[in-house]
Amino acid sequence: MTSYRLASAGSVNRGQPLTFTFDGKSYKGFEGDSLASALLANDQMLMGRSFKYHRPRGPVTAGSSEPNALMTIGSGARAEPNVRATVAELYDGLAAVSQNRWPSLAFDVGAVNGLLSPMLGAGFYYKTFMWPAALWEKLYEPVIRRAAGLGKLAMQADPDRYEKSWAHCDLLVIGSGPAGLMAALAAGRAGARVILADEGFRLGGSLLSESASVGGVSAADFASAMIEELEALPNVTLMPRATVFGWYDDMVFGAVERVQKHVGTPSPDLPMERLWRIAARRAILATGSEERPLVFGGNDKPGVMTASAMRTYANRYGVAAGGKVAIFTNGGSGYRTAADLVAAGVDVTAIIDARVQSADAVPGGVRVIRNGGVVGTKGRKRLEALIAERSGFQEQITCDALAMAGGWSPIVHLMCQRGAKPVWSDEAQAFLAPDVGSAFIAVGSAAGADTISTCLKEGATKAMMLARDLGFAAYEMNIPEVEGEYDPAFAPVWYVPGARDKAFVDFQNDVAVSDLGLAQREGFRHIEHTKRYTTAGMATDQGKLGNVATIGIVAGMRGVSPAEIGTTTFRPFYTPVSFGALAGTSRGEHAAPVRTSPLHDWAKKNGATFVEAGVWHRSAWFSREGEKGWRDSVDREVQNVRRNAGLCDVSTLGKIEIFGKGAAEFLNRIYCNNFLKLPVGKARYGLMLREDGMIFDDGTTSRFSEHHYVMTTTTAYAAEVMAHLEFASQTFWPDLDVRFVSVSDQWAQMSLAGPRARTIMSRVVEDDISDAAFPYLAAKTVTLRGGLKARLFRISFSGELAYELAVPAGYGEAVADAIMEAGRDEGICAYGVEALNVLRIEKGFITHSEIDGRTTPDDLGLGRMMALQKPDFIGKRMSTRFGLTAADRLQLVGLRPLEKLEEFSAGAHLLKEDATPSMANDQGWVSSTCHSPTLGHTIGLAMLRSGRERYGETIVVWDGLHGREVLAQVCPPVFVDPENRKLQG
Amino acid sequence: MSLTLFHRHVLEDYLSDFGTKANPNHLAVIRRPAIFSVLAHRGHDASVENELKSVEGIDVRDCAPGEWLVVSTSAGAAAIENLLADIAGASIVDQSDGRALLRVHGPNVRKILAKCVAVDLHPDSFPIGTSANMLCCHVAVNLARTGADTFEIAVPRSFCGSVFEEVMEMGREFALTAAFADS
Amino acid sequence: MASLITCPHCGTRPKEEFSIRGTALTRPHPAASEEDWHRYVYLRDNPKGRYQEYWHHAAGCRRWLVVDRDNVTHDVFSVTDAAPARGASE
Ligand SMILES: [Zn+2]
Repeated sequence: MTSYRLASAGSVNRGQPLTFTFDGKSYKGFEGDSLASALLANDQMLMGRSFKYHRPRGPVTAGSSEPNALMTIGSGARAEPNVRATVAELYDGLAAVSQNRWPSLAFDVGAVNGLLSPMLGAGFYYKTFMWPAALWEKLYEPVIRRAAGLGKLAMQADPDRYEKSWAHCDLLVIGSGPAGLMAALAAGRAGARVILADEGFRLGGSLLSESASVGGVSAADFASAMIEELEALPNVTLMPRATVFGWYDDMVFGAVERVQKHVGTPSPDLPMERLWRIAARRAILATGSEERPLVFGGNDKPGVMTASAMRTYANRYGVAAGGKVAIFTNGGSGYRTAADLVAAGVDVTAIIDARVQSADAVPGGVRVIRNGGVVGTKGRKRLEALIAERSGFQEQITCDALAMAGGWSPIVHLMCQRGAKPVWSDEAQAFLAPDVGSAFIAVGSAAGADTISTCLKEGATKAMMLARDLGFAAYEMNIPEVEGEYDPAFAPVWYVPGARDKAFVDFQNDVAVSDLGLAQREGFRHIEHTKRYTTAGMATDQGKLGNVATIGIVAGMRGVSPAEIGTTTFRPFYTPVSFGALAGTSRGEHAAPVRTSPLHDWAKKNGATFVEAGVWHRSAWFSREGEKGWRDSVDREVQNVRRNAGLCDVSTLGKIEIFGKGAAEFLNRIYCNNFLKLPVGKARYGLMLREDGMIFDDGTTSRFSEHHYVMTTTTAYAAEVMAHLEFASQTFWPDLDVRFVSVSDQWAQMSLAGPRARTIMSRVVEDDISDAAFPYLAAKTVTLRGGLKARLFRISFSGELAYELAVPAGYGEAVADAIMEAGRDEGICAYGVEALNVLRIEKGFITHSEIDGRTTPDDLGLGRMMALQKPDFIGKRMSTRFGLTAADRLQLVGLRPLEKLEEFSAGAHLLKEDATPSMANDQGWVSSTCHSPTLGHTIGLAMLRSGRERYGETIVVWDGLHGREVLAQVCPPVFVDPENRKLQG
Repeated sequence: MSLTLFHRHVLEDYLSDFGTKANPNHLAVIRRPAIFSVLAHRGHDASVENELKSVEGIDVRDCAPGEWLVVSTSAGAAAIENLLADIAGASIVDQSDGRALLRVHGPNVRKILAKCVAVDLHPDSFPIGTSANMLCCHVAVNLARTGADTFEIAVPRSFCGSVFEEVMEMGREFALTAAFADS
Repeated sequence: MASLITCPHCGTRPKEEFSIRGTALTRPHPAASEEDWHRYVYLRDNPKGRYQEYWHHAAGCRRWLVVDRDNVTHDVFSVTDAAPARGASE
């Protein structure tokens, strides 16, 4: 094994060696290395296999656009597939394995795909596997998935924490190269709140990779000094390891910070990744530019990489990409790379320049082949030689690495995510950032600037412009002198003809120039079609490297300018973002906030089983020893309420306090029934309609004083009713003097129901609650024995004598305990929402099973409540229209099975006897059912066509879901105490 | 028969008073604050606000035009009710049991709260004395800045367990501790 | 990921704090024609472009606002309280 670590170059910390493994083999690297640079230093050029042909591949970049060097890092539940080794920060103990190879990276059976490659061209999958469709699932897909594909997901739960955070700033600077650093410092010195984010694990961007000197020191040292100054500014936040991946509405940027990805043993107190939502008043795109690979035969051989990547490995990491390096260039970048390598003592065997002539300085002793091209490469797992061609003559040149400099593409992805398309510039021979307004601007090479000094200057001036725009005083920046710059100008070369092997444009998805040609010939000419047909740009790197070449080559094939071809659509995310980061803490029990009643603990200690109702956890039933299932508990609770008494938590009902001289009038307009004359001290059942005449919600409202009411809503519609009241008062009738506020959380509310309710309640309440003093529908503030003020309502949802008692939430549990104690010798029990539901069905009371948005008051037998003589109420106008008053509407009825043992379920449909089940024969449907322990059989509430005229009729309850047909008798929707004797007793 | 009724804080089971040493970043749960909604009637927004600002011993938190939360950690609910009862053109509602009051304090308090709320809490845009209703850990709360490094969050009681756990989780990296406090 | 609405009472807030009710229509007079009511209850123009909608600041001041914005670009032109008397100035 040769060491490719250079003697002295680079800024890795040679005093801090790190040990890591790749495919089980142990290697050494240094602090500051990327995984790719450390592997290269250890002569491990082969880092992966391509998606389709399983061709051996090495890194082609040193950054986030890397298509080839994808690996799985970590093991067990922490194994993360498809990590780009070029951006993975090396740490002690890092364990990486290669992907998409079997049985090993060096020897891969799937590489036989490469031999079949003439058959595996663009559209291959579409054409081959179109038919028969049934074979897709069983044969094609599993085979393709095994053969083609990337890393495998760990199938265990992610053990790490993730979180989200907001950040706010005057200026967000994306990218910390020369332009970004200057921009951040200029705005920071001016006093603006600045966030500087960079995807790299070390700030400095291209300054870390360049050999020029800035301000009299090396570019890397200059960057360090800038960062030191920025760190000292309290108004500047530096965010390394943070990829800004998306630009969203209203200048919100999404970023993901890799907090502990570079840590061997992550701290449980820190998240693995943190998702940032950055609200910026202004933003600067300083993401630099991407060097384009050249498209020539065999350009995917391990050892072929961009010239700038090769410079980064040498200048930043102190690693030579090879021992004998050739350079293929169309501009200054190739010459600079040659010079840097020569200076580092690397043998540069030749510069092949596609141009006829150039003014670039040639490092001493290096041969230059002008007007030449590379048409082929040799070697299997690593480049061994290239074949250069000039004027029809070919020559083999021995080399183990080849730098390709194909020109520059500004990285404008973020700026194009909200619909704007990048603009082709003939002058720059590149797509440039679009104009997206003055709040978000591109600077430096992201804006097409070419030299370090232009980047420095532009960063400072444009940041100052934005800072002034925000009202900050200008701060004059000194632009440091840059020495030893090169001219990165280039002449475009999209494709080198005469290729002897496949010439790739998309390395990860194995898309070659021949595929682009096929797509054009077969009619997939629009660039979006070409993309999908060939899959160019559809891999995990989303074509960061190859898209521009694809466009250029397609333009060449069609004889038009790249401007005419245009780009494909840019979408977030810039680089892949983990689901963990996107979910943050919203997983498992924390997926949504939980809402608990003040009587939750009371219910728990009384044996409640809870049910999730929206965000609420409500007590469903209270099991007792010996009960075999929930039905046993519910039957017992229902019977006990009918016979003795029961206590139920109804704290989840919405409660709204209403005040004002206009409150009575307001309620009168909100409810369809009359509220103007509700006496003080009384509760009234009310129905709210929607404007279309259908019932919206029901509940009771009680008058506590002339201008003070308390409204209760259903649990499910508490929030909707509150918003509805606000909407009506704010937009319909702003002149009415009415104010209200939710007090849902202030009160613990419990319903005490049953024939013994009064006896029990009077042991707890000081006030006289005899039927004379506190009749049905009374409501008032009472004093509990011991002095606590509470609200007592005589209302019932069970048909029994019942009270609802509201006490301040903190006393809820104590009061419920006291009632249970006071009722012990009366046989009290706790009952849950299941029993509550049975009790109300037995009594024919409605819930949102009946109030389903399609029913009018009359449909539910409440037509008498409608006070149509009122001048206005919500829903009045539409209530009287044809259709809502028709005689054949569905009406609420009761159902009892003809055979007592037969059961039926809600959702079943109703048919006349002997009718076949069809839409035309549909007579209605069952809205609620339960087993009635009081009657000893199933009962149901149903909506039946002209139902009230059909009491006594036998009807078929047809349940297609359960394959069940039951004969039932239609009856009035009240099964217990139709005369309301118990209620009013 | 006279009932002795014990008041229970919603976070009773989440916290123990004993053995908890407050770290620099600390969340104090105020045991029995007095909290009232104050609603100004039509045409009384300004006068009610002026009167509220002149009442001693209460903190006034902004909720909406013509709506405030009055908070006191020193006086009981009955005393506060008396203080507010005379304000002309206002209706008042006791919410002392409907909201829990969490006081978060410490050098990293803004970093912790940035993970809970979307509002910019930089002192230039949210100075001491500012308060507003906002989403905090997916729940609508009232948040007030009461000091350079101190914020108070009034959380609806039924959601308090959820919000408390989430804030503590967000404070984990800064060793956030929590305990009851009387005022 | 996010978008922001500036409430005239509460300041800039994420969209999660709001709920949207749709077109900001005026409720017809109770005695208006059936035609007018039908239009109010059921018919919407659903334009592409500039649009005035009712937004409820549900997690903030709980005021109903009229948001005037372009539903293609999400350019927000104004956000005002739906009740003129409760405008920001009062
Ligand atoms: Zn608001």
